[in-house]
Amino acid sequence: MGRLLYELGRVDEKTRVANERGSSKAGKSSFSWAWELDGTVEERERGITMDIALQSLSTPQRQVTILDAPGHKDFIPNMISGAAQADCALLVVDAITGEFEAGFDRGGQTREHLLLVRSLGVSQVIVAVNKLDQVNWDPSRFEEICGLLRAFLVQSGFPSSKTSFIPVSAMLGVNLVNCTNTDASALSKWYKGPTLVDLLDKLEPPTREIASPFRLPISNVFKGQSSGTGVTGRICGGVVQVGERLRVLPGDESAIVRLIDVEEQSVPWAAAGTNATLYLTSIDPIHLSIGTVLCLPSDIVPLATVFTARIIVFDIQLPITTGASIELFHHSRDVPATISKLIATLDRASGVVTKKNPRVLTKGISAEVEISLRAGTLSGPALSARPIPLEPFSVNKDMGRILVRRGGETISAGIIVDIIS
Amino acid sequence: MKLVGKYVDKNGAGYVSLRPEDDEDMWHLYNIIQQGDLVRAPAIRRVQNVSATGSTESHRVKLNLTIQVSRVEFSSSGAPSSSADQASSPMGSSSAAPTTTAALHISGPMGAFHTLDIEGNRDVRIEKVDGWDSVALARVEESCVPGRGAEVGAVVCGEGTAAFCLLSQHMTLVTHRISVPIPRKASAPGTSQYEKAMARFYAILYDAFVRHIPYTSPSLRAIVLASPGWVREGVFNAMMVEAGRRGDKTLSKALREKTVKVHVSSAHVHSLVEVLKSPEIVAQLKETKFAREGIVLDKFFKMLGVDEMRAWYGPDHVRLAADRGAIGTLLISDELFRASDPKLRKTYVELVEGVQQKGAEVVMFSSMHESGQQLNQLTGIAAILTFPLDVEVVEAEEREAGEEERRQQETKTLDGGG
Repeated sequence: MGRLLYELGRVDEKTRVANERGSSKAGKSSFSWAWELDGTVEERERGITMDIALQSLSTPQRQVTILDAPGHKDFIPNMISGAAQADCALLVVDAITGEFEAGFDRGGQTREHLLLVRSLGVSQVIVAVNKLDQVNWDPSRFEEICGLLRAFLVQSGFPSSKTSFIPVSAMLGVNLVNCTNTDASALSKWYKGPTLVDLLDKLEPPTREIASPFRLPISNVFKGQSSGTGVTGRICGGVVQVGERLRVLPGDESAIVRLIDVEEQSVPWAAAGTNATLYLTSIDPIHLSIGTVLCLPSDIVPLATVFTARIIVFDIQLPITTGASIELFHHSRDVPATISKLIATLDRASGVVTKKNPRVLTKGISAEVEISLRAGTLSGPALSARPIPLEPFSVNKDMGRILVRRGGETISAGIIVDIIS
Repeated sequence: MKLVGKYVDKNGAGYVSLRPEDDEDMWHLYNIIQQGDLVRAPAIRRVQNVSATGSTESHRVKLNLTIQVSRVEFSSSGAPSSSADQASSPMGSSSAAPTTTAALHISGPMGAFHTLDIEGNRDVRIEKVDGWDSVALARVEESCVPGRGAEVGAVVCGEGTAAFCLLSQHMTLVTHRISVPIPRKASAPGTSQYEKAMARFYAILYDAFVRHIPYTSPSLRAIVLASPGWVREGVFNAMMVEAGRRGDKTLSKALREKTVKVHVSSAHVHSLVEVLKSPEIVAQLKETKFAREGIVLDKFFKMLGVDEMRAWYGPDHVRLAADRGAIGTLLISDELFRASDPKLRKTYVELVEGVQQKGAEVVMFSSMHESGQQLNQLTGIAAILTFPLDVEVVEAEEREAGEEERRQQETKTLDGGG
């Protein structure tokens, strides 16, 4: 990723040299490009991405915001937060023999990631097969990986017309922007397709819910440079302008938009689909936290503690029972919840009820369930849970998607059907 | 808890006098005292006297009060001194009023309501109206075993959040929570905001730890730091450095000797279940009740995954399985025994006794533990069967048996008529 930014002139020579020197000093010279996006001390020490990093780049026809998301299974919550803000996925897989298999086999992370992004509404995916130089640019290896992934992608519901595969080598910078330098000669013998930037340039932006009321789930809160509080997130619907008063939910507070930043430039307004940074005034930052939703005071998001959802159960070991304690993911927020009722199992294709009040949900089943949020404490009789802002899928697609995880494993994904209370 | 006196005859009638000592004892009492019981404990009551002239005078009287319980409440504040177990009551209708102490004749408020706060180190006498059953007596016995207190202090933390928990045999107390906003790394140019926020988080966590985890107490067996990712390492290192800087030798010694770092998958309190399943903890706390509960519940869920026909839940289904003698392990939550309806309680007691007689294992879950909470969500009762039984087949059998009976009755009535 760092290399791509460099090739497109987003990273200057000075930073690159500094990163190269720093990483080789730490004995991790192979991570020098990654340091461009992995900024914290801990990430650099461990050599993995832990939190999402936001960068923007421009190709001839598109303005692309890149969310570099972590892959390690402990940081999936961060990844979900990133993927919920994305339109397309760029999956980078390792071509080295054994490495790809380790990620793709059962228990590896590749499958879970693809299922996650698909259930968060991402339908376009570019698969970059990386490190092909390590296998001597072997076309059969490239084909093998494509074959395995293509089958899985179709099975997970990615339309094959919207998936593309591309061989690259990030360390050597081959086939990112161009395929002409000396290292690329072995590849250009058999690969004549587009480069990564060409593909990024051709991505189709999905239709935006511009007409619906304004919604912005916050994915990051920080202190602004001069005054006010900065919040980042992707606008899920509607338009926002400078000077508007916005309601902050949950809570009784409202704030005024002082500035809107898109791609590090100040703009007078922003519409659905943009990753925007809003600087808010006349609010105490205590009321803003990751997961809070901003909306218009005239059209507020309903708050929910109990709701019904239609879910698809993933490939899981233990079945889901009533009362299963789960973690509910909605945008950047994760809250403890329980599946309080199994309402019915549904036919996956037609959505017709096949069985009412099932005892358990096993893998691969599609079902309608009732989910209740749990109160924070164990102590004594049930304290009431804090409601979170949610909307049914039929009202706002982006606000209506949920993911369900249990014990560090994503067990199902779904859409909100109805809010009960 | 200390057993001060006990007189229970073979029919279960009689009383038990107990002296609660700590928070956990209050929890025991909450589970022992039921609606309708007669509870006698020292209390202070404001007594109003109306003189002949109509002026009122009121004064406080310390007396031993017996009340008939109409409601029991439990509040766990985490602070040992303020825990209260209340029994507010009408003293029955005046004719059937229970005995009150001599002091009460001053005002004679038989039939008045009183809220009785049960406090530590004050004796309390409990008398059950419909007799002591085996479950209640077992609970009394269990609560009086000295030298329990296999306590664990746990900190479940994520980036910017932490929950401090104290685990004892029957309770998990969440004593404190921290939530510090941590900006994402990519927010502003540079990452100083992130690091500053983390440093603040560590500092707050240190202060809270010192205040809420009794690390000096010898009964504290382990200090658990649980988190996803590497936060626990960061927390441990930051605490060691801070303890060194402040010269707090007892803390750094306790941390060095007792800390167990456990990986969990999320920073919520309910991942404490994962902590109790981890091999490091299981080895240390094998014989404690709460570790046992965690293991059994895990076994049940695994069985549900492997062989659905051998893992049943729900009161009706479990009862059917018990009728067929199929239960190997019965999982039952103490919440079911707090049922205000004595008939309902009786059915559960009978169920437990029946299962025990057949040689099966009964594990009583405390709903103050995470595992008990999960069992409560799952109707509060579940069973691992010794042989597979299909729920639907059994239900069909029951229906048939019911119809058979009805038919027989019909024929009988027909015969009678003929």
